Parts: sequence; structure tokens; C-alpha cells
Amino acid sequence: MRINCPFCGERSLDEFVIQGDASLTRPDPAAPDAAAAFYTYGYERANVAGAHKELWYHSAGCHAWLVVSRDTRSHEIASVTLAKNVALARAKASTGGV
Amino acid sequence: MSNTKLEPRSALDSAKSASRSHVEIKVLDGISVVWIAARKGQTAALVARVNELYGVSLTLNPRLASSTGGIEFLGIAPDQWLAIAPAKDSHDPASKLAGQLQGLASIADQTDARTLIRVSGAKARDTLSKGLAIDLHPRALPEGAVAVTHAAHIGVILWRPIGSDSFMLACSRSYSDSFWHWLTEAAAEHGLAVS
Amino acid sequence: MATPNQPNRIANKGLIDRRAPLRFTFDGETYHGFEGDTLASALLANGVTLTGRSFKYHRPRGILSAGSEEPNALVELRSGAHREPNTRATMIELYQGLEAQSQNRWPSLKYDLLSINGLLSPVFVAGFYYKTFMWPASFWEKLYEPLIRRAAGLGRAAEAADPDTYEKCSAFCDVLIIGAGPAGLSAALAAGRSGARVILVDENFALGGRLLGDEVKLDGLSGLDWVRQTAAELRTLPEVRVLLRTTLTGAYDSGTFSAIERVADHVPKPAPHTPRQRLWRIVAQRTIVATGATERPIVFGNNDLPGVMLASAVRIYINRFGVTPGRNAVVFTTNDDGARTAIDLHAAGARVAAIVDARPDPSAAVRKIAEATGARLISGVVTDAQGRLAVSGARIRPYNGSAIELPCDLIAVSGGFNPNVQIATHLNGKAKWDNALAAFVPGDVPKGMTVIGAAAGSFALSRCLTEGARWGASAATSTGYPADVPYVPTVADTGYDIVPLWRVKEAKHKAFIDFQNDVTSDDIALAEREGYRSVEHVKRYTTLGMATDQGRIGNVIGLAILAEITGKTISETGSTSARPPYTPVAMGALAGHHRGKYFKPTRLPPSYDWAKEKGAVFVETGLWLRPQYFPVPGESDWLETVNREVKTTREKVGVCDVSTLGKIEVHGNDAATLLDRVYINAFSSLPVGRARYGVMLRDDGLVMDDGTCARFAPDRFFMTTTTANAVKVMQHLEFCHQWLWPALDAQMMSATDQWAQYSVAGPRARDLLAKIVDPPFDISNAAFPYMAIAELTVCSGIKSRLYRLSFSGELAYEIGVPARFGDALMRRLMEAGAEYGAIPYGTEALGVMRIEKGHVGGNEINGTTTAADLGLGKMMSAKKDYIGRVLAGREGLADSKRPSLVGIRPVNRAARLRAGAHFLEKDAAATAANDHGYLTSVAFSPMAGHWIGLGLLQDGPQRHGEIIRAYDPVRGGDTLVEVVAPCFIDTEGVRLRV
Repeated sequence: MRINCPFCGERSLDEFVIQGDASLTRPDPAAPDAAAAFYTYGYERANVAGAHKELWYHSAGCHAWLVVSRDTRSHEIASVTLAKNVALARAKASTGGV
Repeated sequence: MSNTKLEPRSALDSAKSASRSHVEIKVLDGISVVWIAARKGQTAALVARVNELYGVSLTLNPRLASSTGGIEFLGIAPDQWLAIAPAKDSHDPASKLAGQLQGLASIADQTDARTLIRVSGAKARDTLSKGLAIDLHPRALPEGAVAVTHAAHIGVILWRPIGSDSFMLACSRSYSDSFWHWLTEAAAEHGLAVS
Repeated sequence: MATPNQPNRIANKGLIDRRAPLRFTFDGETYHGFEGDTLASALLANGVTLTGRSFKYHRPRGILSAGSEEPNALVELRSGAHREPNTRATMIELYQGLEAQSQNRWPSLKYDLLSINGLLSPVFVAGFYYKTFMWPASFWEKLYEPLIRRAAGLGRAAEAADPDTYEKCSAFCDVLIIGAGPAGLSAALAAGRSGARVILVDENFALGGRLLGDEVKLDGLSGLDWVRQTAAELRTLPEVRVLLRTTLTGAYDSGTFSAIERVADHVPKPAPHTPRQRLWRIVAQRTIVATGATERPIVFGNNDLPGVMLASAVRIYINRFGVTPGRNAVVFTTNDDGARTAIDLHAAGARVAAIVDARPDPSAAVRKIAEATGARLISGVVTDAQGRLAVSGARIRPYNGSAIELPCDLIAVSGGFNPNVQIATHLNGKAKWDNALAAFVPGDVPKGMTVIGAAAGSFALSRCLTEGARWGASAATSTGYPADVPYVPTVADTGYDIVPLWRVKEAKHKAFIDFQNDVTSDDIALAEREGYRSVEHVKRYTTLGMATDQGRIGNVIGLAILAEITGKTISETGSTSARPPYTPVAMGALAGHHRGKYFKPTRLPPSYDWAKEKGAVFVETGLWLRPQYFPVPGESDWLETVNREVKTTREKVGVCDVSTLGKIEVHGNDAATLLDRVYINAFSSLPVGRARYGVMLRDDGLVMDDGTCARFAPDRFFMTTTTANAVKVMQHLEFCHQWLWPALDAQMMSATDQWAQYSVAGPRARDLLAKIVDPPFDISNAAFPYMAIAELTVCSGIKSRLYRLSFSGELAYEIGVPARFGDALMRRLMEAGAEYGAIPYGTEALGVMRIEKGHVGGNEINGTTTAADLGLGKMMSAKKDYIGRVLAGREGLADSKRPSLVGIRPVNRAARLRAGAHFLEKDAAATAANDHGYLTSVAFSPMAGHWIGLGLLQDGPQRHGEIIRAYDPVRGGDTLVEVVAPCFIDTEGVRLRV
């Protein structure tokens, strides 16, 4: 499998480390249900067969964290985005788009 | 108390240089390496400041920009660069850049963290393809291109200097011995002799 | 006519170089061949037809094919450590002095005693492993298994380590073309002329594929001349790379392929600095699969006897190698192509006794061939080959008469062709059945791949050439190199016209489907009777297709027979999946450069050369090679050395290279905020000029790493991590910064390799360093107290960083200089420290001193412990959030009964402690339920004069003073120990603050 790093370009799988589901959001630690929410965040995973958003780290390259949309059945990759940009956009959206 | 100077020592002090017709490998000493990372929201200001000081535009992709003063700025990660400067004993490019770019960038000296090796010659590409899994063809990696990758399980930064068909490689100092072993073994087929 | 001593060599024929004779041996006998021969062609030239014994029944076997599909002629090549078993004689290029041995025979190939297995064959039928040796169970290990191991199996692996070298190589291209037969060559020309980067691979040592084996004309040129002309043009195209002797072994995701290049298998010995084989990883934008087709045999009695040969292979031996594999042949075919073999045999001077056409109605083409060659045309089947060690005749049953027997020494068989679809199906693509061709052709193929020519079922030469031209041009065009479809030479196609026949039911003798695994037609029937009806089950039960030829000869026949037996169509029966590798791959090629000492890279600390000069003993810690201890003359064992190093350090001063610790520059206006969020304790409150010990948790609440972090400026921190976790911590920090809190202004860079860092520890550490630091730096306790840090210069102007940190519990510093000065600084420290009795110490003494002080290390931070478990609970800030805080508060992790850090010492002070021993209450039975924890780290403490340890004990901090057992059944230990506070020296921490 090859991943097209937005900074480095297309590289072979062995330059990357997978972290897992990128659709999870780290819960608010101050929320009253934080313990339960962190449990879910830490342990509960859907075993997706199909389109999946995943976090990958370009450990042997530019050290960027990436959000990779991959089909878990065919390994076909639909998109690769810098995780930082995804996170910033998400933060913007959740605060009403400042 | 201590008056005699400490003598610097390259990680490949005993090897240094190896060549024969088809591949030439040389360890380059006396070159400063400085890490530059833009502070949050300061990328544009940093690019402008570097341009003003050195007359070059920092690239936002894995390419290098070469100043007339002989400093090369390599794009190695989003908003991060390495400055490669031929250093004289008397000056310290890291401190100089830290002063010049204060508030715009984080600076750290990486001179000692990296061993710089130049590989050139007709078989340079064939030699490197035995360990680097990236496309080294000039169509994919033209002069001025930079790649952060690994070679034979060792992290390397690779770049193609402007105006030369050679490859520059920077590997971490502690890996130098293993890297040198791999590189010389890979080159041996092409007639490399270690001098 | 024939070359002297090579009775089957045909004069003036073949692509062999008769001016270059080569000598070789087979089973110790010396023979001669020519350059351009394979071992198989040279053996045939010499009249050697018996080449080995089969896997299960030890049946005599000869050469069946002329390619990489060969299942029979497997030999041991070379000798000694270079010995390689199961090499295919059909793929071995002859070289001067080649040595080969037949396999699986004892005492000799001709008189193999284990061929008695053939008589015992009822025992060895399908599934015999599962059935025959069931009872009694105790017989399995002692009797059955050794017996089977002796009898079964093929060659012997070399006993010594592989002395050859291998390497790996990457290549990238626009268009990869697999196979250099007519289709592949035509595609290479079309794509190559456009300027696209083209790689053409072929497993053979010559370009041309079937053009070398068949008599054809292309625009009046012979096949060979067209190949030569094409090769010459390809050589002029700078972006076309041709890799011969290179087998494409696998297709992987995203256009990635593996290939094995046999660089030096065709020479007696690799050229200096040349690998024996090279593993290629090829990344291609577009791929053209032109892998051709493999002929399949027909299943009749004794169809494995030497002298039964694939018809196309017979033609290859005649035309390419100038060898006639027989003088009196019977051709047995299901199609027109097979019958053509009679023409070449006849031209080579052999007699064709008969053409046996299995089709109900032999075609006009065959009738013409029979007439031209003088062969008797029989509409019918060969039921059995006759002969003991070689074919001496054929038993034939004409459809319109009774059986006849014809003497012959060769039976050329064609059951039709199977397109080589393996590469096209490696990524889960299913091949589909084509009824007209009676073969599987590629179905869905991976993105970017096109299958052409015979591999796609286009057997006619004209179609191979035109498809190559068309798809070669199209592939190049799609990668941005517009290409014209080139001119294609005119050829006269011959017909195929197959009516499949899978097995001859009237066979009297054993009839083989999978030659290499000795699977017969009866085995399939038996499997079906026993309920194995899925093709995947039949494969595993009978081992059909599981040999090194991956079923290239037998798979399709096997499932066709299964379909016949079950009354299903072949489409309904389906096929098994082909998986990489296409042909066997040497393990050495997969390892390449990375073997032995170079399996992984080694990292050397800055003082490595110096330590080596000092005679240090080194230890691998992760990738690092660190001095473990420094023996001096007169010391009898490591413990004596380590005791001296500990005592000298604690009494005088010791120096240790700690450069291997992970070091990370963390900068930015929000660097302190980021550190507050990753450490359990606060760093925003750390003053500039000070360092602090910090602990990081994972988000699940368990400890990830510990270390110190120094603040050189409000926005500039310098973090250290453990040696083992440096990479993991960097990744974690990047994750936190880029993904969790991207709004923070923070930047980080690894500085592990930038700084040589030495720990200078002991009561005289300050005296020593006072001689190193440049004035006016004040190193006094008042000016530079415990946990102070500074940037300064040392040794007359060398940039340096000084940290007053102590891991040993002594007055101690860590001093850092740019790594290139590390070697010199170590020498200088030892010189300057000589008057104080300074010594170097290694990781062993470092470990002893940390255990004496009760500091946790990798044995305690092991992924199962919380900060509270390690006695660090008080560091957990209640004023801020940090990674791991929420889940660290979980019931299970906050339980005070959890095993927690304690010190341990033996009640009998002379007793030795062993890490890993489990804690039991004094009188408790040794059961898992009574397990109270375990000893994590132990050391002999020269200061205490006995063994000491750290451990994780249930409710530990409440049990100081209790006597328990350290129970170690594996090493026979059961020691009474006392639980104490985890600190054995200077409990008040006075010494490190003086």
C-alpha cells in the first residue's frame, strides 16, 4: 500500500505508523460523564468493513499526522489530509466558525 | 583550567571518503545544520524575513532554496526547514539565525545530530536505490528536490543540490556507522574503493 | 550428425554456442553441454532422462517441461554450504563446472529402495496423514513421524548458513511489462518509443518467450531475428530497462510488485561485490501482464514416467536448444497446437510413430501434419505409458477399435494451455472460465493492470503482437507519454481448436495430476467420496497444488476432474486463489543486506571508540550499543567490576555516557501549556534555569515514560526521555500537538543525536567539573544548586549545557556538548578526574545505583503500572488536566490494593534474589490465587553488602517490615524476603544536595 503524504508525496506503507479511528474526538475531561466518555474513546472501536477514516503518522518522513480515508476491504485510499488541518477545521466548526 | 581545545570528531572519522570511477562517496565535515520551525501563524512573516535577510524564498514543499551566500534552506516538514550552511569555526549559524528570526521561528542547532554524505557519479542512483524506496529518477527528484525518508531502516534527509547531479544525504549521527556500512556495500558492485 | 558424447544433440540447430562447451556433473557423472543450455537441455542432449524420484511414492521422474512450472526435474545444485535443494533443472543455466545431484533416492537414483512406497500406495492416498497414523497415539512421535520424514520430502537444505549475499532494490516506472514474449516485446516497443519509463521483466535468460521455441516467420524474419531486432531497438531507448532472469513473484497494493533477479545463479561464483540474487520492489503506474500460458498434461496411466513430456517443451528443446528428447515419438493431443510438435520432431530427424488425437474428430490441420510427417493418425487416447525407468511404449485405445501398443521413447502431450493468470489474481481477483478455450482467463484485474496475449487467452501470435502494440501504446499514453500504436509484422497464425480431455478413464496405472505432490486422479475421487467437495477443501485434503509449482501443472486439471465427478461445471466448481510468490524465493533474498550483525542498524554513542579502547563490555539496549561495564586487569567477573564501579562512584566520582537518552527540543509560546498537558505534574510553574522530573501517562491512565525537562527560556524547554521510548514520546508529542491541540504554539525537534551527554556523579563531581567549565561560571552549590541548569562554555569555548541532575543519588551533573566533541570531552573528563580517582561506569552500575535509590526504570514502567503504583501518585496534579488523568481515576486503577512499588531484601543476607520471582505470603500455597506481585528489578548492592530488589506488591506501601516469599519455580528459587521502603541508601536525599 502507498500513501500520498500531502507534504512528502507518495510513499510506501513502511514509512507510516497507524493509530486508528480518526472519527473519535477526545472527550471533554471536565464533563460530568468524562469517565464513561473516556472509556468509550479509549476502548470502543467499530470494526469497519469499507470506508474508514484513520490516523496515520508519517514517522519515517515529515512527522505529520494524517487523516487517511481508506477502504478497509480494498486498501483503496480516497483522500489524505494533514490531521492538523482537519483538527483546526473541526475546532472552528464546533465554536461556530470564528 | 583547561586550555587545550577539544578536538571535534566526525562519526565517520576513520572512513571519510571513498571513491572510484562510478560512485564517489564523501563525508562532509564543517557544515552547519540548523532547524527552523515557524511559530504559529508566523509562516508568512518568517518567509518574508528570510527573504529580506538571505534573498531566498523558503519553500512550502520538500524543495530547497539556495541563497547567494551559500546557505541552502531545505523544506523538511510543514512549516519546518533545515538551513545548511558552510560554517567557519568562528561563527555559529544557529545562534545567528536565532537572533535574526526571534519571535518568528524556533531554532535549534542540528549540526552534530547529522552526518552529511555526498554520493555522486554515474552509478549514484543505482547505489542509492538499494536502500531508498523512493523514486530517484531526475523526473521525480529533480535538482533542488528534498526528501525525508529512510534508507536501509535508517532515517535520512536527501536532497539534490542545484547545479550538480549528486545526492546529499543526512543521517543521524549515531547511525552513521551502520549507514556507512550499508552505503559502501551497496556501492561496491559499482567499483567503489574505500580509501 | 550428433555432437560426440551428446547423442541427442541436433546439428546446426538451437541458440546454443557450440564454440563454448561446458563441463558439468550430475550424480557425480561428468557430461558436456554448451553455453545457452539449461541443465535440463544438457541432460537431454546427453540422453539422461531419469532425473529424480517423486515425493511420496519415490517414482522415477524425468523432465516434463522447459520452464519454471517444472514439477519433476528438481535437483540439488552446488555443494557444501552453497547447496540448494529443489532447483528446477529447466531453469538452471549451464555453467562451467556445474554440480547437480538427484533427490529423494536411496541408495541411488536407479535403485531406490523407498520406491516400495509405491507398492504401499494404498497407505499413502489422499489424507493419509490424517487417517493412517491415528492410532496408537504414542506411535506418532516415535515411529510414524520419523518414518514419514525419512520417506517423504524432497531435497536436503544446506546445513551451514547461506554464504551468499543478497540485496534489495527499488525501481519505479510508468509502465511495467511482465513477460518478454511476442506480446511483451511488442508492448515494450510501443511504450518505450514514447519516452515513458518502461521496465520489462522476464524470468528467462533470453528475450523472446515462445518465439525461441517455435518455428515462425514475422514479415519474413525468423522469430529469433525479430527478437534480436526488437532487443536492439529497446537498447537504444534510455528509459527502457530490461531485467532478464527476473521472476515477477507478486502483485501488491497500489501498483507495487516484487521480483527476484537471479544475478549470479548462472555463473560458478558471483562476481566480486555482486549479490547472488536481488529482490526488486517495483512501483508502476501501469502494468501489462504478458506472462504467456503454460501447457497442461493429460492424466493417463504412468503419465509421470520419464519420456512423457509437454508437447511445447519438446519443440523448445528441439528449436531453442538443438536437442531431440526422443527418437521415436507418440504425440498425444487435444488440440492442433500439440500436433504441430510432430512437424518439428520430424524435421529434427525423429520418427513420429503416431499422433493420437483425443478429439472426436481430428481436424484437417492434424490430418495434414500426419501426412507430412508420415505419422499414423489415431483418433483415440493414450491410456498408459509403458516402461519401468523410462517410456518404452504407449498403450493406445483408438475410438474405433481395440487397444494397441506402440513402442516409443517419447510421448509428447498437450492437454491445452492455461493462461498464466496468477499475477493478475494475486490481489483477490477471480479468474473466469472460458468454455471455448477450456481455460481460466483473467476476470477483474487490479487498477492500472492490463493482461494481454496468451495470458489473456489470445493464443494466436498475431493477436499477441497487436495486443502488445495497442496496450503498450495506451499504457504509455495514460501516464503522460503519448504513443502511437506501432506497425505490427504480418504472421501466419496456426489454429488451436481444443476439445478438452482431462483424464483417460481406462488408465490401468497410477495417473498423476499434481506431479510434485504425487496427487493422482484417484485421490480426487476419494476426497469427493469422503465429502470434500469444495475446491478449497479438496486442495487441502489432497495437497493438490500445494507444492512449489503452486499447482501450475495440475490445479486446473484437478478441479476439472472434481467438476466431472460432482457433475458440476468448472465455473460452478471455481478455482483456488493464487498467492505470492509465483515461484519459490530464497529467504536470503528477502533479508538482503539485513542479516546477522546488520539485521537492524546499530546506534553508537559518542564515546563508543573511547570505550572500546578502554576494553568496555558492550550491551545492546534497543538499537544502541552501550558500555555495560569497564573491566580492569585482575577482576575475575562482571560483578566484581560492577561493585567497584558503584563504590568508586559513590565514594569518589564516576562518569557515564547517557547520550542515548531521548532528547527533544520543545519550543514555542505555548510549550509550557503543552508540557502541562502531557506530564502529570506542572511545568508552566518551572522557573527558567531549572529542571524538573516529570511523568507522562497514556490516555488509558498507565505510565508511558518518565524523564526530566529543563527550561532554558520562557519559550524553550529541553526534554529527556528514556532511551527506549524516545521515538514513541516524540510521536506522542506530535500527536498531542497536531491532532489534539493544534491551536497551541509549539514546535519540537529531536536532539538526541545533537548532544553528547555524560553523567558525572559522586562526591568529587563538582571538583572535577570545576576544571572543565570555563570561568566565570560559578559551579558552587549556592550558585548552581540541585536541579539547576545552565548554558555555558567548557574546555575553552565549547558550547555546553550543564544540568544538576542525579539518578545515582550522589552529587551529580549531566554535562552536554555538541556530539562531535563527545569523544574528546570523555577523554578530558577522565584526565581531569584522575586526581580524584575518577572512573567510567556502564549501564550495569547505573542500574545498581538506581535500584539502591529506588528509582523506577523500564522494568517498572512496563505498560501495566500507574503513577500511584510506582509511588509517584503525589506528583499527579489536581489543578490541571493532563493526558491519562481521567482514566487513571478508574476504580481498577485507583485501587489501593494494586501491586505497588516496594523495596525487597533477603532475610538471609547471603541469599540471591532473581527478578521475575513472585510474591507469596509466608505460609501461602504457591497458587496463582495467592500471587501478590513480583520482583521487577534486582541487584547486588555493594553498599548494603547483599542483594536488593524492587518489586510490585499488593498493598505494598502498607506492608513494610513484613516477611514474605520470593517464589521462583522456574529457576528453583524460594527465598524469604523482607518488604522495605524502596530506597536503600541516603533515604533523606542529603548527598545529592550538598
